[in-house]
Amino acid sequence: MSELDLWLVPLLMALLIGVLCPITGTLLVTQRRVLQANLISHAVLPGVAIAVAFGVDPAIGGVLSGLLGSLAAERMQRGQPAGQEAVINTVLAGFLGLGVLLIPVLNIRLDLEALLFGDLLIVDWSDLYRVLVAAAAMALLLLTRYRQLVFLGVDPEGAQASGLPVRGLQLVQALVTSMVIVSAMSAVGVILVIGLLCAPVLPGLWRVKSLRAAMLQSALVGLGLSAVGFLLAVPLNLPPGPLIGVVCMVLLCLPKLRPVNSV
Amino acid sequence: MRVPPLVAQGLSVAYGNRVVLDDVSLTLEAGTLTALVGANGAGKSTLLHLLQGRLIPSAGMVACDGMPIQSCRDRVVLMPQRGRIDWSFPITVREFVALGAMGNSSFGCCDREAALQRVGLESLATRRLDALSGGQQQRALLARTLVQPSRVLLLDEPCAAIDPPSRGQLIALMRQLADAGQTLLVSNHDWGSALDLYDRVIVLDGRVVADGAPQQVRSMLGSNLAAQESFHE
Repeated sequence: MSELDLWLVPLLMALLIGVLCPITGTLLVTQRRVLQANLISHAVLPGVAIAVAFGVDPAIGGVLSGLLGSLAAERMQRGQPAGQEAVINTVLAGFLGLGVLLIPVLNIRLDLEALLFGDLLIVDWSDLYRVLVAAAAMALLLLTRYRQLVFLGVDPEGAQASGLPVRGLQLVQALVTSMVIVSAMSAVGVILVIGLLCAPVLPGLWRVKSLRAAMLQSALVGLGLSAVGFLLAVPLNLPPGPLIGVVCMVLLCLPKLRPVNSV
Repeated sequence: MRVPPLVAQGLSVAYGNRVVLDDVSLTLEAGTLTALVGANGAGKSTLLHLLQGRLIPSAGMVACDGMPIQSCRDRVVLMPQRGRIDWSFPITVREFVALGAMGNSSFGCCDREAALQRVGLESLATRRLDALSGGQQQRALLARTLVQPSRVLLLDEPCAAIDPPSRGQLIALMRQLADAGQTLLVSNHDWGSALDLYDRVIVLDGRVVADGAPQQVRSMLGSNLAAQESFHE
């Protein structure tokens, strides 16, 4: 790796996920499915462990495992209308536990800390390509299904009644969400990625008049947050991933970015 | 002889051991405004879902224009309760109304702009949905329903949680639609004088308790209805 790549690749990575994660997060926040994203981000671990054990690309294992976790939770939620959040959190803990157990069982070496919190400074071009593939998948979803996603967000039952393939749409969205989370994993980890999915969406969401505008706004905010986190990390000599997570939280404390009638 | 737009015969539904609807039959004539009145748990929403073909009854059948409802579900449109909608979603009134035409190659009784005009929201079309009052939101929901091609409109508690003036506007609007030839069945809790604006009232309590013109239903139920009215007022 050349000296230019040493800082250029991490910077590009930070900026790319700074745009992609908030766009994905806008869909999740407006559809009130953030908990599902949290589940997916934790459910990638068993898939990554199995992929490493069999010499397959960990990203493929992670995406499949995340999707499987999401489907399992959805299946178990049926007949549990009062405990849907509890089911999601139980599946989340189960998949995370399974992933941790698989490491000694399969006798593999896996840097759990890097997986959970990421390390932006050691990403390479292959990590960058994964983000681009996830971005292409998200772009394709938005270009072909934008209005359906709007309908799904504002009135899921109405969308189903009008004949939209709601289940299929949710499945595709879960797949793309898994791809985005796994692609950002190497940079900010599966835990901190939730901050980038959610925080940039919230400021001004109450003000915009369309899902498209909400996505654009959150992408710009996410880009700024990632740039600030990355640029602060250099002089402070701190890891950029956690710093981006902290900057995301600080953003929510700014009073001008909250609705007028909030306390 | 003209075939009625909607006919239901002997509808029964049970959830486990609990019977929700028992042998419910009704016929809706074209261009009529009918109220479906009943207390919470009387089976109003269940009946509307059966009539739209979203639910399959354990016994009985529903027909639209003489055909089984499952083969012509798009002819019967259900306007959901307001609680089903995420009113804080970032969307303008115009975009929200346009969603009603999704999946349909042809517009309903009116296109998006005409529907907005019909419910009196054309001047608020560029506002966010959550910037509207409760009554205006219900009118936006009705406009979304109007852009879908349909023979019968089923409205699930459109007057719930809105102030009396907005309720009056909404009922007047439904009256106009019926006078223009649309067939409407409207579920509500209201036992008061607003019922007089309907052509017909069906009182439901798991089964049809009374069915007829508003005055006729009042005399049928007598003191029972008077007690309900004073309770609601």
